[in-house]
Amino acid sequence: MTREQKEKLRKFLFYLVLAVIVVYLLFPFYWAIASSLKSEAQLSMTPATLIPRDPDTGEISIFTRNYRAVFSNGGFVRGLINSTIVATSTTILALLTGSFAAFALGKLRFKGKTPALYTILAMTMFPQVTVLSGLYAVINALNLSARVSMIFTYLLFTLPFTTWVLTSFFRDLPDEIMQSAQVDGATPFQTFHMILLPLTAPALVTTGLLSFIQAWNEYLFALTFTSIDPSARTVPVAIQFFSGEFARQEPFGEIMAAAVLVTVPIVVLVLIFQRRIVAGLTAGAVKG
Amino acid sequence: MANSSSSKLGNEEEKLALKLLLPAFLILVIIALYPLGQVFYTSFTDKEFASSTETNFVGLDNYKALLSVTVKELPPVIDEKTGEQAVDEESGQKIFERPIRVLPRDPHLYRPSFEFSFFGNKYVVGARTPDFIRSLWNTLLFTFFSVFFETLLGLIVALVVNSEFRGRGAMRAVMLVPWAVITVVSARMWEWMFEPTRAGLFNMLGERFGFIEGSFAFLSNNSLQLPAIIAVDVWKTTPFMALLILAGLQLIPNELYEAAEMDGASKFRQFFNITLPLLKPSLAVALIFRTLDALRVFDVFQVMLSQKRYSMASFNYFQLISARQMGMASAIGVIIFIIIFAFAVLYMKSLGVDTE
Repeated sequence: MTREQKEKLRKFLFYLVLAVIVVYLLFPFYWAIASSLKSEAQLSMTPATLIPRDPDTGEISIFTRNYRAVFSNGGFVRGLINSTIVATSTTILALLTGSFAAFALGKLRFKGKTPALYTILAMTMFPQVTVLSGLYAVINALNLSARVSMIFTYLLFTLPFTTWVLTSFFRDLPDEIMQSAQVDGATPFQTFHMILLPLTAPALVTTGLLSFIQAWNEYLFALTFTSIDPSARTVPVAIQFFSGEFARQEPFGEIMAAAVLVTVPIVVLVLIFQRRIVAGLTAGAVKG
Repeated sequence: MANSSSSKLGNEEEKLALKLLLPAFLILVIIALYPLGQVFYTSFTDKEFASSTETNFVGLDNYKALLSVTVKELPPVIDEKTGEQAVDEESGQKIFERPIRVLPRDPHLYRPSFEFSFFGNKYVVGARTPDFIRSLWNTLLFTFFSVFFETLLGLIVALVVNSEFRGRGAMRAVMLVPWAVITVVSARMWEWMFEPTRAGLFNMLGERFGFIEGSFAFLSNNSLQLPAIIAVDVWKTTPFMALLILAGLQLIPNELYEAAEMDGASKFRQFFNITLPLLKPSLAVALIFRTLDALRVFDVFQVMLSQKRYSMASFNYFQLISARQMGMASAIGVIIFIIIFAFAVLYMKSLGVDTE
């Protein structure tokens, strides 16, 4: 085999793997889209069809009423707003407090680092179900509104995660950066927010995205804390309360339509931020 | 002189560190300390959920009820005519004594959790709460397989996405789609694909390509439940792994690869000598969080299997909401906590995560 052929084969294999990955990751979601465009009758067709088809004629027939039903559902639209508020606030709070803590844990010298890291991690070691009743008591005692309680309680899983990931990133940054900044007369805090923080941008974006999505998807806490205030329901809870406009049973097509609609904003968000994940360390800023 | 100034600097550093840690710890104290303390306390009582029955302190009773396990050998049933072990006429399998007859009844009733064979003998594992022991086993199997496949696939996806090709930006968004689908809804979506009739995707595909005869009831068939759930979780959380690994890959300086290229190191060697060692810290953190998450798995089990098969957390939910045994439920929570803690320590020691 000549070198050129080898190169071609390599390229071919690479795109083959890429294609397999794309199909694997997207096909179930495609199936959700296809299901959201089917009527009850089309959903119960056997065998199931890859594209929505008319049960009698077999022609392609797209059913859009699921989407119209979702949009005319006030609960869903309100849920979108609530989810956006809650997930954004939680993420910002987690990144802010988490990056402070992570800088201390990753770059500063002080006693008691290991216990501190373990304590933070221990917060995520209980199943959500277990702490639910205790949290509910705390929220009642502090008299927090449903939205604020979600914002705070979601820190239970977003804060340890952001702190740990950012700590490992801070630790990886060469000490020389800090030392040279100190020589230039910068205080450790200035070094942190003017030099180190921009360098960890990819980690901030990554953890931010992952935490945002985790908060966006959370169900159990949201269900419990919004039980007294239905207007604060987030999307996952609102979807569970779909009663179905024209189907007596559970409106599966509508649920799928809602699932597609709430996934789209996240994909857009990732598209906006993905450049930052790549940006990484500016070449030459750090010599390993 | 130099000494005192450096210790002064160290002192300031320590002060700054405490200040920076304060907000995070304040939040954790408010949202975690009381609820967790309450869980520990309740686990030693017989408190009932949403009831006015008086609560008593019961010491370790809940833990004993959950964790009491005994292994007994099942004696073979002897056929009186032949004097040898009886054989089932239909299946041709040897017959053993029924578990219920060998397990202790006093002072507590032990019920069979599962059976296993070893060197031709048959044993039964009996427990006072067999559902919990089974849920523990289910969760461990689930965690092992799902984390293994997620890490492997996540690494492959991250390496592919990290190389240069057109449409890389879009690929990064595509990569996160499964993670972005709301968990409760994605469980429903998969439940629909696993539908036991040909209205379900897998049965339809299986039939079209001739893999299967008739149709599979993925979620009712005992031996297919765990693989099905693991498949769902692997699909859903591979993006989490991939993104964390990708961010780690971004931190590896390109110069290292350039130097290796000049030295004529193959891509294969580059991967094992540069990529993997430098990726270890990010990989370790990703592994820790995925494992802890998997050990607490709740949503998928609850939506797709509810009471057909439990994970530890979904059994916890059942004890709290359906059985209303809050004391027992809290004890389950504490046991999960201890198991997870042990895993975390083990991980950090074996992966060499330095906390100092």
